[in-house]
Amino acid sequence: MAKSQATPVERAARLLDLVPYISTHQGISLQDLANEFSVSQNELLNDLNTLWMCGLPGYTPLELIDLEFESGYVSIRNAEVLQRVRLLTKQELVVILLGLDILKSSLEDSRADLLISVSTLSEKIKKIVGDIATASPIVDSAHRATIVQAIKSRKDINLVYHSTIRDSVTERLITPLELSLDLGFEVLYAYCHSAEGFRTFRLDNIKTVSLGKSSVEVPSKKAESDFNWEILIKSRFRTSSERFRSDYLARQIVETQPFLVKSFSQDWLLRNAICTLASVEVQGPPEARALVAEKCRQTLNLYENSGFSTR
Amino acid sequence: MSRKTERLVNLTIALLATKRYLTKSEIFRTVDGYEGADESKERMFERDKDDLRNLGIEIEVGSFDPLFEDESGYRIKPESYQFQLGEVNATEIALLSLAAEAWRGASLGSSALTALNKLHAIGVESDSELLIGLAPAAVSEDRNLEIAISAITSRTTLAFDYLSENLDSQNRVLEPYAVTSRFGHWYVLGRDLDRGAIRIFRLDRFSGEMKMQGRAASFEIPKEVDVDGAFSISDDLRTAQIFLRDGRGLNLRNRAKAITDQSPPEGWQKFEIEFRDHQRFVEELLWYGDDVVVASPPELRNEIVNLLKNAVSNYG
Repeated sequence: MAKSQATPVERAARLLDLVPYISTHQGISLQDLANEFSVSQNELLNDLNTLWMCGLPGYTPLELIDLEFESGYVSIRNAEVLQRVRLLTKQELVVILLGLDILKSSLEDSRADLLISVSTLSEKIKKIVGDIATASPIVDSAHRATIVQAIKSRKDINLVYHSTIRDSVTERLITPLELSLDLGFEVLYAYCHSAEGFRTFRLDNIKTVSLGKSSVEVPSKKAESDFNWEILIKSRFRTSSERFRSDYLARQIVETQPFLVKSFSQDWLLRNAICTLASVEVQGPPEARALVAEKCRQTLNLYENSGFSTR
Repeated sequence: MSRKTERLVNLTIALLATKRYLTKSEIFRTVDGYEGADESKERMFERDKDDLRNLGIEIEVGSFDPLFEDESGYRIKPESYQFQLGEVNATEIALLSLAAEAWRGASLGSSALTALNKLHAIGVESDSELLIGLAPAAVSEDRNLEIAISAITSRTTLAFDYLSENLDSQNRVLEPYAVTSRFGHWYVLGRDLDRGAIRIFRLDRFSGEMKMQGRAASFEIPKEVDVDGAFSISDDLRTAQIFLRDGRGLNLRNRAKAITDQSPPEGWQKFEIEFRDHQRFVEELLWYGDDVVVASPPELRNEIVNLLKNAVSNYG
């Protein structure tokens, strides 16, 4: 995981952090130390060689930091001045503060002891940086933990899933394949044995998840046909683009131009088209227009049915 | 090998070890690495101070001798250099580490990594047994989140282009106060300098990267930032009555109240539901197609009927 060349300042920061780390991990191997700091062994050796030249003014052997690493294991002496762990920067504190918020939301009420510790730590940090960062995660981290575990141990998963497209909650048996991000939302790509096809599940719509049996081979991916609808946005451009998941940033939308929206789910396209009746027009294909017309007619019929009259 | 890295470390050691303030001339004479003409040493030193400050290392300036006020001295107080959360136990280390781990691979990954190095250096064995079954993950690949947080912690003004509902790119200038994640998106909140009011912006609606503008510490962050308030829509809360087909309209059903004193058609139930954002509510109702029928208020019912009628004649 070697990153691009660090700046001299970033390197200085790393040297300052290496000293206390080595002091509490005397005899650590070069490889472990390199891993901890996410640098290559060569970069680490460079760091150690530089550190070895540093010390108190005077810079006689008595004042220099004394490092030993030729054996492949690192130990340090004569570094009392830098031995204390450096303070966390504000950026680091905010990162931790947000992480604590996310962690907190995934702790069950039964872990009151941990909840209290998390709150105490958050308060301590807020005293330093202020109340400037909060996170309300929409995914239950216990669900994610189970999924991660299932992928690692090649186990199937029993899922209770709320599909907003189907407007229903169903139980499914799936073989989880990959976690990823889709327009900022966490999704699980999986083979769904119930639907006999590859499906993408949004983690925030998962109701419960439990480990099942060991996975068997999943069938190879069949080309599932996508539906392509041509739509024209006439108003509420940003909201409507977001709804149709059109990347308006990349596309630099031209207002009067129709574009294609692709999905494996015709139902999703239809629902989106109907909920944006006021601002979007479906221009094609003719079957799509017929579906919209049909759905609107059915809905309108209900409004004209006396059972639904206003009373 | 970088002389600059070495000099920064040596300067830190010298200023940290000293019990009294060191004058500039003492520093230049004793700390390894300050070379060249006086002027260039001065410049080097000024830059070094700024660089250390950016690492969170505060150099204290003090009067070396009260009788000679022009001669100021420098030192780093050990208490302002060291880990500031005090004594932490195994549980706390485990929690802090897991909180930082949540950012691994996400947009704040590098700060998370340096934080972890420090936490691990404390040398308290983390009680990770406690946390089995938890996998918190921060979800963001947006570089603007990192920039926003830097701007807030350094209190620097931000300039950026934001896409309006009409997809015009508008230039905004903001004193950022807070970041927050809600509904699966990251937001930055602050004082919009052109509008002269608190505004909130969704990070994935920015076009391009934000830029920090002007000096650090150029504004104060109010003690109480009302994040919830900034999110609430000023529209009044209104109530609608709707029919839902049995077992359908789950998201609506979850926040609605059943009405039982009237008899709806077979296979349907009637509910009372609250809403604020009119347009969004219309879209939400239409999403469910013929699984929802609006009973009241009449304006809402008429609006939906008209949309459907137009659609039937347009598409039919």
